[in-house]
Amino acid sequence: MKTAMKALINKDLKAITKNKQLFASIIVVPLIMGVFLPLLFVVIFHFVPDEMGDLQPLLNLLPAKGIKDGQTMVLSLLINYLMPGFFLMIPLMAASVMAASAFVSEKEKSTLETLLLSPLSLREIFTAKVLSAFILSMLVSLATFLLMTLAFETAVYLLMGRLVALHFSWVLILLLVGPAVSLLAITLIVRTSAKSQTAMEAQQRSVFLILPLLLLVIGQLTGVMLLDAWMLLGLGIVLGAIAYVLMWGAVKKITYEKLMGI
Amino acid sequence: MHAIITTGLGKTYPGGKEALKDLSLQLDEGEVFGFLGPNGAGKTTAVKLLTGMLNPTAGSALVMGHDPEKDPERVHALCGVVTENARMYDHLSGLENLMFYGALYGQNSFESRERADMLLAGLALHDAKDKKLGAYSTGMRQKLSFARALMHRPRMLFLDEPTSGMDPESGIKVNQMITRLAKEEGVTVFLCTHQLRYAQDICTRFGLISEGAMLMTGTLPELQNAVLPGIRVRIRADKLPAGLPLQEAGNGVFEGSLGEEGEVADLVRKIVLQGGDLYRVEVEKPSLEEIYFALTRNREAAK
Ligand SMILES: Nc1ncnc2c1ncn2[C@@H]1O[C@H](COP(=O)(O)OP(=O)(O)OP(=O)(O)O)[C@@H](O)[C@H]1O
Ligand SMILES: [Mg+2]
Repeated sequence: MKTAMKALINKDLKAITKNKQLFASIIVVPLIMGVFLPLLFVVIFHFVPDEMGDLQPLLNLLPAKGIKDGQTMVLSLLINYLMPGFFLMIPLMAASVMAASAFVSEKEKSTLETLLLSPLSLREIFTAKVLSAFILSMLVSLATFLLMTLAFETAVYLLMGRLVALHFSWVLILLLVGPAVSLLAITLIVRTSAKSQTAMEAQQRSVFLILPLLLLVIGQLTGVMLLDAWMLLGLGIVLGAIAYVLMWGAVKKITYEKLMGI
Repeated sequence: MHAIITTGLGKTYPGGKEALKDLSLQLDEGEVFGFLGPNGAGKTTAVKLLTGMLNPTAGSALVMGHDPEKDPERVHALCGVVTENARMYDHLSGLENLMFYGALYGQNSFESRERADMLLAGLALHDAKDKKLGAYSTGMRQKLSFARALMHRPRMLFLDEPTSGMDPESGIKVNQMITRLAKEEGVTVFLCTHQLRYAQDICTRFGLISEGAMLMTGTLPELQNAVLPGIRVRIRADKLPAGLPLQEAGNGVFEGSLGEEGEVADLVRKIVLQGGDLYRVEVEKPSLEEIYFALTRNREAAK
């Protein structure tokens, strides 16, 4: 990759850490979804286990291989089946905030024209922008995953004196479904960025991507559909393919005039 | 090689506004071309077409041998551009901004730092180099934009109102830099400006555009001959013989137009031989400003 593209990615990543408001919005969702929420589940389950009684039909669906007791099974259900839906909102949100900032705020602040006048081609600028949003969202996801695991296992260990195994599906979530969701969010922001005048507006457009994730969570909760590794694999591949196709469609149609809104 | 060649270049915006019509122009390397015209004449549109930011709806252009429509990156690599809408990052300092743009041109941080320091010093921005751009004044921003356009030692400069908002010292400094770059390094300059006095001093050739159409191009003498031929004399004398093409302008000063410089000598001879005392003789060719107004007035009248 050209050093110029690296410089651009660097600049975008640095800019986000310098902007307190944006940085806060990137940090808050992961903390809520990745740390607060699982801790809340564990605490509720520990102190008022009856509240979790509703999960019984779900538990019956679970492949109970190797899991001895009911308590561990519920905890495993929480972390391995319920959390992924919430967790995927993290790459979604981080990627949207970053993409909106990287594309639309350059336009908003009239720095886009200067960037377009550089010797980087439109495609290279586009790629650099997509990559910076993607990199940020992956970093945030991985960091949150580590924090989540640490918080969850510590809480479970302290309260109930055990550890709960994470499923292989987390690998797929981190390395396949999460990245696919990020790419999809970035594509959406990028495709509408020509129409959005402010970064805020662009971010708001991506909010509706949360809906399918909520459906996923509800699906899991009600036991309509329990995602196993194979389904996650399929989901990741399909989402990734959609994102890729939409992204290239956007890249092909992009022109200086369109970017500047003429 | 010509720095710029356009043939029948035109742009009609999607709304239907024909902002530039049939522009055919050739610029040699090292020329400082003054592109003049009233607000909305199409100057910025022309710059955007030549730098590939807009696609022409008619004709074509070559800038340093490359088509800005097909190879904008190549044009960008060779050209520095200052326009009103090309801003830099408020959250970065002046130096950081320049170094970032240097990096976009493939400079490593050592090179870009050295170049940026030199340009900042040359534009009296050195003391403000670590200040955030957000805290810069309008004129300081404009100076930094000029420095930014020079970061990669471009072969060609597009400057759209580069000195607007600058104090006179800075304006002069920038104009001196432009002249020096053109003379010593052969950089070609395409300068859009409303500051006709500066333009007269630094441009080697001019183009006057109005409502998207180029009215006239040429060097100052060419424009003078075409638009306001002749020279003006102003004479202070105690008395004038009759029959001279001069009018009294008060205080013993007489003014008039002559066809060419040879006629001045005749005039002076006549006055002296008739016993007149001459205190002052001023000979003047019309300024760029006068030509500009005459041309735009003619155009108004033609309508
Ligand atoms: N994006 C656009 N869409 C539609 N019309 C435009 C657009 N940009 C400029 N125009 C029109 O094109 C014409 C030429 O504009 P341009 O900006 O080239 O003028 P200019 O000579 O640079 O003026 P100024 O001296 O004020 O900078 C104007 O009538 C303007 O209204
Ligand atoms: Mg303009």
